[in-house]
Amino acid sequence: MEPGLLKSADWPLLIDLYFFLGGVAGGAFLIATIAHLLDGRRYRDVVRVGYYVAFLAIVPAPLLLIIDLGLPTRFLHMMMVSKPSVAIGMGAATLGPFHFKPLSPMNVGAWALLGFSLFAFLAALDVFLEDRGGRSMVRLRTWVGIIGSLLGFFIAAYPGVLLGATARPLFISAHWLGAFFLAVGASTGAAAIALILALLRRRTDESLVPLMRFTVFALVIQAVFLGVFIISVMATGSAGVRTALRHLIAMPFGPVFWLGVVGLGIVVPLLMRLRGSVRPTVGLITVFAVLVLVGGFLAKYVIIAAGQKLAS
Amino acid sequence: MARTLAMFTDVSLCIGCRACQVACKQWNQLAPEEPEWTGSYQNHPHFTDKSYRLVRFFEQPDDKGGLTWHMMSDVCKHCAQAGCLEACPTGAIYRTEYGTVNINQDICNGCRYCVSACPFGVVAFNENTGTATKCTFCNDRIHNGLGPACAKACPTESIRFGFRDDLEQKALKRVDELKKMGFRDAQLYGADRNGDLGGLNAFFLLLAKPSTYGLPERPRLPQRNVFWDSLASVGAAVAVGLGALVAFRNRNEHGGT
Repeated sequence: MEPGLLKSADWPLLIDLYFFLGGVAGGAFLIATIAHLLDGRRYRDVVRVGYYVAFLAIVPAPLLLIIDLGLPTRFLHMMMVSKPSVAIGMGAATLGPFHFKPLSPMNVGAWALLGFSLFAFLAALDVFLEDRGGRSMVRLRTWVGIIGSLLGFFIAAYPGVLLGATARPLFISAHWLGAFFLAVGASTGAAAIALILALLRRRTDESLVPLMRFTVFALVIQAVFLGVFIISVMATGSAGVRTALRHLIAMPFGPVFWLGVVGLGIVVPLLMRLRGSVRPTVGLITVFAVLVLVGGFLAKYVIIAAGQKLAS
Repeated sequence: MARTLAMFTDVSLCIGCRACQVACKQWNQLAPEEPEWTGSYQNHPHFTDKSYRLVRFFEQPDDKGGLTWHMMSDVCKHCAQAGCLEACPTGAIYRTEYGTVNINQDICNGCRYCVSACPFGVVAFNENTGTATKCTFCNDRIHNGLGPACAKACPTESIRFGFRDDLEQKALKRVDELKKMGFRDAQLYGADRNGDLGGLNAFFLLLAKPSTYGLPERPRLPQRNVFWDSLASVGAAVAVGLGALVAFRNRNEHGGT
């Protein structure tokens, strides 16, 4: 691939922030649902905070996307136009004014965002009503949780698939960005819940133990997929791809990648848990969670920035 | 669908006059822009929202220690499998009955996904209109029986426009002629409908390998990644889901049942 001719969409930090919040929302929703399914009473606070985090993280998402559009008033065109044509892509389907393009991750992502937002709202509403003394709709919460978790997986992973379906050399050369973004969503979603629980209650209890255990697991998965991504890009071997990879792991983004993403975002939190006690202190959890969240954001930021940088 | 229309650019006939570039700007009423020189006659270095047609200039070292000067009039390839069209979430990018690829300016919302999905860096974003733009093969002209402005203006017939099957025959014949004349590396780029991207509806006769002209040797449809990337994501989702189940499973040592 000759990189000199290629162009970049130049998506700004708003989009990185959307990808990050989408991951946090998807991850938090999944954890809340698993906790609800396994022992909703015992993990009540994880369920409550998880669903609130998912909802609050996904609320600003459409706004970030709309602000970035060249013509924000046309945001609905992502899903509907007055007279959709069928000559708009392989496998494209239309129904009335709506269109669906299975090969366009941005189109499918817009539909998934709509669906996930609905389920995140329903789950948050359910725990809110329960907090206000109402009766929990346990059966409804179970189904909302299961369907919402599947959509949450999608929301966390699809930005990576979306990037992989561009001609940018760093993205088109590997198949692991979706998996990596999903793992980042899981670790940051868990870290967000742990951070809020620790800060709100100023003490640790047993609900934080599985949460920390899952965060460590997600961090390991994250490290594995990041490694596989880098190795698979290296293996393609073309000049354009090597240049793009240099942008990520050397200059100009190498310091952020190695120090921020790998060091502070993965290695330090893992070492903290390896050396820490079974029931860590509030301070330790706070530092741990903040590192995971910052590392997760930097991971998405730096990969997108390096991939979008044009060859000089 | 009507017979596919196509453009055949024979670089062996290009003299670098840029009449095509000027004609394109005039017919499509594209505004002037500041020149952007990079050390050759080429201006601009890339397609822009105001330059749909671009004459590229390249210097290639030859066997005798000298330089061969290559020039090529470049344009949107109107790929049979178009990355921009597949990427577009709004359906603004569509295929016409002639096989060309256009952007409906009334639908495009300026997400810019198509800009990064084009394997040739053709699609450009117009900051003023907030939409993506590119060559349409002069859609208004070809629907009224006229050829694109660039092909009409070309004084050497380096750019030819017509039905694709006719042009393919002419191109194959021309390659044979050039090989007999001693141009050993003469080759067609994008003419094969069974080749990369299902063939390009703007195809080229090159005198050297594609990378000499800055073209990708094997352009790929980016959306071919969607299936495998999604599959890897499903694998990750299963791993994360199982990890969460194991992590939250009740354990006696933590006071569980």
